[in-house]
Amino acid sequence: MTMNAVIPTDVSVAEEAPFRPNRVPVGSPAYNQIAEFLYEEAWLLDEIRLKDWVARLDIDLRYTCPVRQTRSLAQNAQSIVRTVMHFDETYASIRGRVGRITDTKSAWAEDPPSRTRRLVTNILVESTEDPDEFEVKSYLLCSRSRFEETTLLMLSCVRNDLLRRHGASFKLARREIIVDQTVLGFPNLAIFL
Amino acid sequence: MLDRTRTTLSDGTTIDDLINVQTREVQLRAISDPELYDIEMRKVFGKTWLLLGHESEIPASGDFITRLMGSDPVLITRQKDETIKVMLNVCPHRGMRVCVNDAGNAKVHTCIYHGWAFKNDGDFIGAPVAGEQMHGTILPKEKLGLTQARVHIYGGLIFATWNFEGPSFDEFLGEMKWYYDMLFCRTDNGLEVLGPPQRFTIKANWKTACEQSASDGFHTLTLHRWLGEFAKFGDGDLTTSMYGTEVSSLQGHSLRCMPVANKFKQAKDFRDGNLTIAEKLAIVPPPGITKEMLPELVRNLTPEQLGLLVDSPPQVGGMFPNVLIAFIYVPQPDGEIIGLTSLHTYIPKGPDELEFCNYILAEKDAPEEHKQKALQFAVRMLGTSGMVEQDDSDTWPHITQTAKGAAARNITMKYQAVCTTPPRPDWPGPALVYEGFTKDDTQWNWWLAYRDLMNAPA
Ligand code: FES
Ligand SMILES: [Fe+2]
Repeated sequence: MTMNAVIPTDVSVAEEAPFRPNRVPVGSPAYNQIAEFLYEEAWLLDEIRLKDWVARLDIDLRYTCPVRQTRSLAQNAQSIVRTVMHFDETYASIRGRVGRITDTKSAWAEDPPSRTRRLVTNILVESTEDPDEFEVKSYLLCSRSRFEETTLLMLSCVRNDLLRRHGASFKLARREIIVDQTVLGFPNLAIFL
Repeated sequence: MLDRTRTTLSDGTTIDDLINVQTREVQLRAISDPELYDIEMRKVFGKTWLLLGHESEIPASGDFITRLMGSDPVLITRQKDETIKVMLNVCPHRGMRVCVNDAGNAKVHTCIYHGWAFKNDGDFIGAPVAGEQMHGTILPKEKLGLTQARVHIYGGLIFATWNFEGPSFDEFLGEMKWYYDMLFCRTDNGLEVLGPPQRFTIKANWKTACEQSASDGFHTLTLHRWLGEFAKFGDGDLTTSMYGTEVSSLQGHSLRCMPVANKFKQAKDFRDGNLTIAEKLAIVPPPGITKEMLPELVRNLTPEQLGLLVDSPPQVGGMFPNVLIAFIYVPQPDGEIIGLTSLHTYIPKGPDELEFCNYILAEKDAPEEHKQKALQFAVRMLGTSGMVEQDDSDTWPHITQTAKGAAARNITMKYQAVCTTPPRPDWPGPALVYEGFTKDDTQWNWWLAYRDLMNAPA
C-alpha cells in the first residue's frame, strides 16, 4: 500500500492561515526599507547603542513577550499566555530600562555585556488601512554569550511588529515577541529582543 | 549497593565537615558537589514540604497543572469535591510521563505510551485490550494508581511532600507561621495568581539562589545598587532600608521586616506614636492591599499582627528550602504606592542548573485595575526581565563554577555577621528576632535546617 492511499484527499492544511491580500511583496521598495530597519535595529542592539535604539521607538509603544506553555494540539491557542508575560513594557518603561544600563554603574546583568547576535529572517510585511503603518512578522534567532561560556545560549522567536513611517524611516509602535521555549534558556531578559 | 542512610561522601567528608557550626562557615564545595546533590534530592526534596503553585491556577473540577517536586514531575489536579491531589506524574507501567502538558482540563489522564488510564485522582482505570489483561495478573488494580503525595493548602498555596510520617505543615512553618499568616491569610478571599508562572533556567546550583533568598540583605547594597542610584529608593541611600528586623527559625524560614517610616515620606509621622493603626493603614496600606480591603485585615489578623504589618511589614524572605517571598512597595510619582506580591521557587535541575519559577499574585478582591498595575510592575522589577532580579542571575553561576576549583572548593562561605542587638522590647511576634542592620543569622539558620535534614536518616 502506498502512503497516498491512506491520506484523505479532502484535508485542507492551510485552513486557518488564509492567504492575505495585503502582502507587501518581498523586494518592493517598502519591503526593502522595512527589512533595512530591522537589520539596523539588530545591529544597534548588538552594538549596545541603546539610546539610538530608543530613538527608533514610538511614544505609544507596546512591547510585550507572552509566557508560553506546553498545551495539547487541541488547546494550542492557549499556549500563548498574555497575562503574566516576560516583558510588559511601554515607551516610558523601556526608557527606564535603558536608563538603568546607560546612566548607572551598577547594571550588572549586562556589565560586562553579553555578546549577542540577532539574526533576523523570514520578514513578511502587510499593509494596513493606514498607508503609513505596516504589520511586520520576522523570525529572530538571538545567540548570547557571557563571560567564558563556550556554548551559546539561544532564543528563537517570532516578532509581530507594527512599524510606523516617520519621514524617511520608521518607528516601532508595537512588538509582540512570541518565544519558542516554555522554560527560557536565558538566565534573564536583560537584553531586548 | 547504595547506602540509603549515607551522610558521608565517598571521600569520607561528612555534612558536619562541610558545615562548621562553631565558626558559622560552609565549605564552598557544598555548593556544587554532584554526590551531595543526589543526597539532597532524597533527604531535602524527598522529605520536606515544597511549594508547587496556587489553587487559583486550577479553579474548576478536572483542571490540572504539572510541576516539579525536586527532581520529580508531579501532576496536580482539582477533584470533583474541590480538593486538590498531587501525584507523581510517572506511569507505573514503564515510567512514561503520564501528562505531557503544562496545564489543561481532563477527567482522565491516559498515558500515550501503552494507554494505561488514570482518573484525575490518580486511580488506575484500566489498560487497552479487553478485560484489562494488559497489565497482566501481577498486581490488583488498587496497586497500579499514580503515587500520591501528601498535600496541604495554605493561604491557597499548594504544598506537598513525599514524607507522610514527617512534620505537619504547621509544624514545618513553626513560629514563623505567625508572620506568614500576615501575608497569606489576611483577607477573606486570599490571593490569586495573575497568570501562569514565568520559567527560565540559570546555570547555577539551587542552593546559591536559596541561601540568598533566606533574607540576604547585604547584597542589596551592591548588587542592586541601582535601586538607590537610579530609582532613588530610600532617597538614594539603600542602607537605611537595611535597618529593620529580621525574623527566622531553625526550620530555615525567614522574613525581613522593614519599618515604613524609614522608607516613605508618607510615613514619616509613624514614629511619633500619635497615629492609630487605622490611620496608618489609610496612609500606607500594606503591599497589595487597597483601602477598601482594610476591614478584612482587621477581621483576619490579631491586633499585634496588624500593628506590625502597618509599622514594619515583612517585605522579602524565604521559606525553606527553595522559596523566595516578596511583598514589595513600589511608590509611584503621584504618591500612590503599588504593592507587588511574588513567590519564586528555585527548582534543582542537576548540580549546575536551576529553574527559576516566578508566580505573580494579587489579592483576589483587589480591583482589576490595581491587579493589572501590580502585574506590570512585578514583571518590570522581578523574574525574567525584572530590573532587580536580572542582576542576581549572574552571581549564582559564578559561585557554582568557582565551587569546583581545586583550591576554591576548600575555602568557606562565611556567615559570621552575628546580630548582638537584643530584640525591641515591644516586638510583638514570636520566633528568632534579629534587630538592627541586616546580618547573616537568617541565612545561617537556613544552613542549619539544611544540615538537619541532610544528617537525618533517610
Ligand atoms: S508506560 Fe504508560 S502505559 Fe506503558
Ligand atoms: Fe537579589
